[in-house]
This record gives sequence, C-alpha cells and structure tokens, in this order.
Amino acid sequence: MAVLTAVSFSWPQKLAGSWLVLLVLGALLAPYLPLAYLPNEPDLAHVAEAPFGRGSAGWHWLGTDSQGRDVLSVLVFGARTAVLLTLPAALLSALIGALAGGAAGFWGNSSRLAVPYWLMTLGGLWWALQLPVPLLGVAVAALGTVAAGLAFWHQRPSPTWPVPINAVVMGVATTLDTIPRLVLVVAIAAGTGVSTGGLLALMTLTTWPQSARLVRAQMLRIRILPFIEAARAAGLPPGRIWLHHALPHALQPLKTALPLSLVGLLGLESTLSFLGIGLPPDVASWGGLMGTIRAEPTAWWIFIFPSTCLITSILSLLVLGKKSLVSV
Amino acid sequence: MGRPLLGRLLRTVLAVWALASAVFLLSRNDANTATLLALPDFSASVMAGSGSSTDYVAAQRVVQRRLGLDLPLFYASRPHSSPTNTPRWHWNGTQNQYHRWLIRLMRGDLGTSFRTAQPVANRLYQALGFTLPLTGTAALLAVLAALALARRLAAKPWWQQPVRAVLVAVHALPLFVLALLLLLTFANPAVVAWFPAYGLDQLATTEADSWSRTQTYLLHLVLPVTALTLTTLPELTLQLDAALAQELRTDYATTARAKGLAEENVIRRHALRNALLPTITQVADLLPILVAGALVVEVVFALPGMGRLLADAAAGRDYPVLVGGVLLTGAARLLSLLLADFLYFWADPRIRWQS
Repeated sequence: MAVLTAVSFSWPQKLAGSWLVLLVLGALLAPYLPLAYLPNEPDLAHVAEAPFGRGSAGWHWLGTDSQGRDVLSVLVFGARTAVLLTLPAALLSALIGALAGGAAGFWGNSSRLAVPYWLMTLGGLWWALQLPVPLLGVAVAALGTVAAGLAFWHQRPSPTWPVPINAVVMGVATTLDTIPRLVLVVAIAAGTGVSTGGLLALMTLTTWPQSARLVRAQMLRIRILPFIEAARAAGLPPGRIWLHHALPHALQPLKTALPLSLVGLLGLESTLSFLGIGLPPDVASWGGLMGTIRAEPTAWWIFIFPSTCLITSILSLLVLGKKSLVSV
Repeated sequence: MGRPLLGRLLRTVLAVWALASAVFLLSRNDANTATLLALPDFSASVMAGSGSSTDYVAAQRVVQRRLGLDLPLFYASRPHSSPTNTPRWHWNGTQNQYHRWLIRLMRGDLGTSFRTAQPVANRLYQALGFTLPLTGTAALLAVLAALALARRLAAKPWWQQPVRAVLVAVHALPLFVLALLLLLTFANPAVVAWFPAYGLDQLATTEADSWSRTQTYLLHLVLPVTALTLTTLPELTLQLDAALAQELRTDYATTARAKGLAEENVIRRHALRNALLPTITQVADLLPILVAGALVVEVVFALPGMGRLLADAAAGRDYPVLVGGVLLTGAARLLSLLLADFLYFWADPRIRWQS
C-alpha cells in the first residue's frame, strides 16, 4: 500500500512535524514539567510584568498577565487543554463521520430490515424508555423473537421494511449545517453549563457532518467498482463487504481532511475560550490568555506568545495536510 | 426553479425549527442558574437582616413565575417522585413551556428577555440596525476584492504562488486573532492610535453635530470591517481562483485565445461568468457566516450589535435572546438560499431559459 512506502519529508514538513510532536509531548507531560508556577496560582506581587522578571518563587521567563499568572505555565497548560480537546474531538468526529457516511453511501435508502427485527427493536425501545405499560413493549419484542425463530426454522424469508439510512444521516448533517458552528456551539454551551467533557461532545457533534459527507461521496464511487461486485458474487455478507472491502478505500479523503478539521477545532476552541464560553474560567487556555490583553494593552508578551503558538500549530497542520494530499 | 427551491426552503425551515427547539430544551437544563442570575442580590438582603431562607425561596418562586419557568418543560416528563418508584412518564398537557413558546413564535412573538424584560424582537432589531451595515459592507468589500484579486491571479503573475500561500494561511487563522492583531496595532496608544478602540455605545449622547457623528461612526467601523473582510476574502478568492484556472484549461478558452484575444479578455469575457457559478453558493453562504463572524468582531471591538448581544446572552443565561438569535441566523440562511437561487438565475442563461 502507498501508506507504507517510505516518503521523504522536506524540511518545512520536518519542522512542522517536530513542532506538533513537541506540542503533544508538552501537553501530555505538563503536570510533570519543572515549572516554577501553576497556571491558577497567581503571583500577586508581580502583576503584568515583562519577560525575564524575577518572581517570588522563581523566574517569570515569559512575564505575567494582568492577574499575575505566569505566561509560560499558562502556555504549557493551555497547550494541554487544546490538545486534549481537539485531538479526541477530531478523531471521534472522523470515526462517527466515517461510520455514518460510509453506511449512508453504501446502502443508500435501499437497505431493508426483516419485520421481526423491527418488532424486537421497537419493543425493546418501548420497554427501555418506560413508556406507558412497559410490558406491551416486552410482548412486542417477544412476538418479534418468535417470528424470527419461526422464519429461521422454516428457512422462509420474512417480509422486510426499508431503513432510510441515507435520508437520516444526510438529514441530520444538513440540520447541523444550517446554522454556523460558532453560533450553534455558543447557544448550546451556554445552556448546558461548562465542563470539558460536555464541550468535547459538543465539538464532536458539530464536526462530524464534514467527514460524513466526504466518506459518503467516496463510498458512492467505491461501491460500484468491480471488486465490490466480485465480493458480492462470492457470496460474502453485505456487512463484511462494507467493513473489510469498501470502507478502507472510502476512508482515503479523511487523510487530508483530518489536519484541516484539527485546524478548525483549534480555532473553535481558542475562540470559545477567548469569548469565555464553554470552559470554566480557571482552565488555562491560549484564547483566554489572549483575551486578557484588552485589560492591559501595553503588555505585548500576553498576546505575542500564545498567538505565535496558535499560528505555528495551525501552519504546521496545514503543511502536514498538504503533504498527505501529495503522497496519496 | 420553483419546486426544488420550495423543497429546500421547507427543509431549512424544518432544520431551523429542530435546532431552535434543541437549544430551547437544552437551555432549560440550566434554569436554576438563570433564576439565580435574575434574582436581586441575595447576599445584600441577608446583610440587611431582612432576608431569610424562606424569603429567598419565595423570591425564587416569584422570579420563576415571572420568567415562565414554573411550568413543566415539555408535553411529557419523568418526575423522580420517590426513590422506590421507578420514574413514570407524566403527561403535562399543553400547559408547558415548550408549547407556550411555540404558540407565541407562530404569532411572531419571540418572548421577553430574562435580563432586561424587553421584548426579544426589539433587542434583536436594535442590534441588527447596527450589525447589518457592518456585515453588509464587509461582505460587499470581500466579494469585490475577491473578484479583482482572482482575475489578477488567473493571469499567472509572478506573485501568484506567494499570494496563494498567504491566503491559505490567513484563511486558517481564527478571526479573533486577526481582530486582536488589528486592534493592538492600529488602536493602541503604544503603537499607532489611528482608530478608536471602543466607545460606540456612547456615540448618541456625546456628539450633537450629525456630520461629526457620521465621521466618528465611520472611524469606528474601519477596523471591524477590515477584520471581517480579511477573514472572508481568502475562501472566496481561492475558490474563484481554482474555478477560473479550470475554466481557462477548457476548449472554449483555447478557441478564444486562438482568435487572438488577449489573456485578460479571455478571462473577463469568457471564463469569469462560468467560473462564478460555484462561487455563488459561497457568496450566499456568507450571510449566516457573517453573523457568526460578527459574534467575535463585536466582542473584540466592543460594538453594540447582534454578535455581542448573543455573547452577552450566553454569558448571562438569557435564553430567550439566545433562541431568538438562533432563529434569526436560521432566517439569514433562508434568505441566503433565496439569494443563491436569484443569483444563479441571473448568472446562468440556461436556467433562465428553462423556466
């Protein structure tokens, strides 16, 4: 496969890669690094001091902000927040998008499910939600199980009802795309309160439609290729063809889309923390640090260092994204 | 063009309804915070010696009734009555918050703000009066600049590659970094203070003369418009540039060149109109995107518009305003769909002749 062949990296790509590796390492090891200050321990004797100042517990290499927090430690822990939010969100949304988009592209609206299985699902749902008279749900599910058993016993195909996978997936994706991501996230984050896990879920929820669209488009092209037809002719079950034969090829566009989606999420995360929405105020973040510049317009070090980190990360991701575009 | 457009509009209306409902229902998770924020300061009344916990509970009840939060949330609910009982579904009838909201919405009433007790529609209308000139100017400038820039880029000058790289980089930057950079460079007494950084809220009271008021207003708008233009320009330009490059490789472009036309004429007279078609969708998409962009820009430059209204509402748990903002953004999307269809109609004679 093309992925395994050795590729030579040009020096911008090596530089970008090493910056990103450094960022992720710094983010993961942040609690163990020998930092003189923690981000939420303000040094109130040294407020808004320029870089290379001596603080009460050690040097402030990159200065302090208007609340006396050490800029270097906020940078390191802000990188931790950014990496631990955006990386899982990007991977999760790529996974959800791949599964949903892949299913929508492969089966379209033509997939059908036997009526007994429908009965089992609906009855089970009825029971699980404790709708009025839960036993009714159990009865329906039991009926479905009996029907499935009879059909299996007599080797007779049972009637089927269609499952509109494509319509459901694309409908949900279109609905989520109707309103710009920032407005939607701000509106929902305000109501559901602030927590890191909730923000992660929200970012995943609003990001997966992009990858779902890409994978679906690729899957529509893949599923009519001769090797899929050959697999069908060999009598493989459709689920196996989908997972083992079609999906690996349909995932190709995600290789280029993943760095771009990381760029988008990084921007979203820093914008949200700049606006002060979504994360608790004591969580260190680059966007929040940049926001404090408005209280102290002459303190250039509050703005320059985090924005340099953010811009470098974004440019590195773009450079790497371009690389995988070329190599595929 | 009627039928597909009608279908798209209908689907968008459904989507906006679903999203607004989701925001409405999810926001009520946090109704207690909204009540607390709406209460007159509790600690002050305790300090004065008049407050007690029963008074506090009573005050909370009154606030909840005033905001309409005392009703059940939805048509059905699962109250946790006792720990031994498994929770059962309880039918609340039409006396619930969601039903009331929906009925009022049908009549065109967006509700009243939790914080200021003004009708939400009024607040949105006031904010829009400020935001529309800002975003409209930015959109117009971005489209014009993208047209001009893409036409120059298509002629393959020596600066084609560097400009493309810069555009890609600017496109990836978050808007707030760009806006802060502009603010700290051009409205900072330590660097150059050509433009005011804030203070448009007090404009109406301080300046009496209408000419100087207009001048101050325009001066305030320069930096926000620049930030919004810069952030929308790259996407439009790159898209149009790619489309133009593709059109210039087609046979009709070669024919035009073989006729002896100058490259500039080939681009302007022949390729541009065809290349515009995919860009039209993007131009129409600008409308909702600019609302979101205004969210950031208005916070950075302290402008009293739609975006800051939304950000303040999110911070202050003013849910009616938030839901109103979501609905308004949805309306912008509907408008943009109509606009896109109209623009296609104008740009592509094939569509015009078919209908």
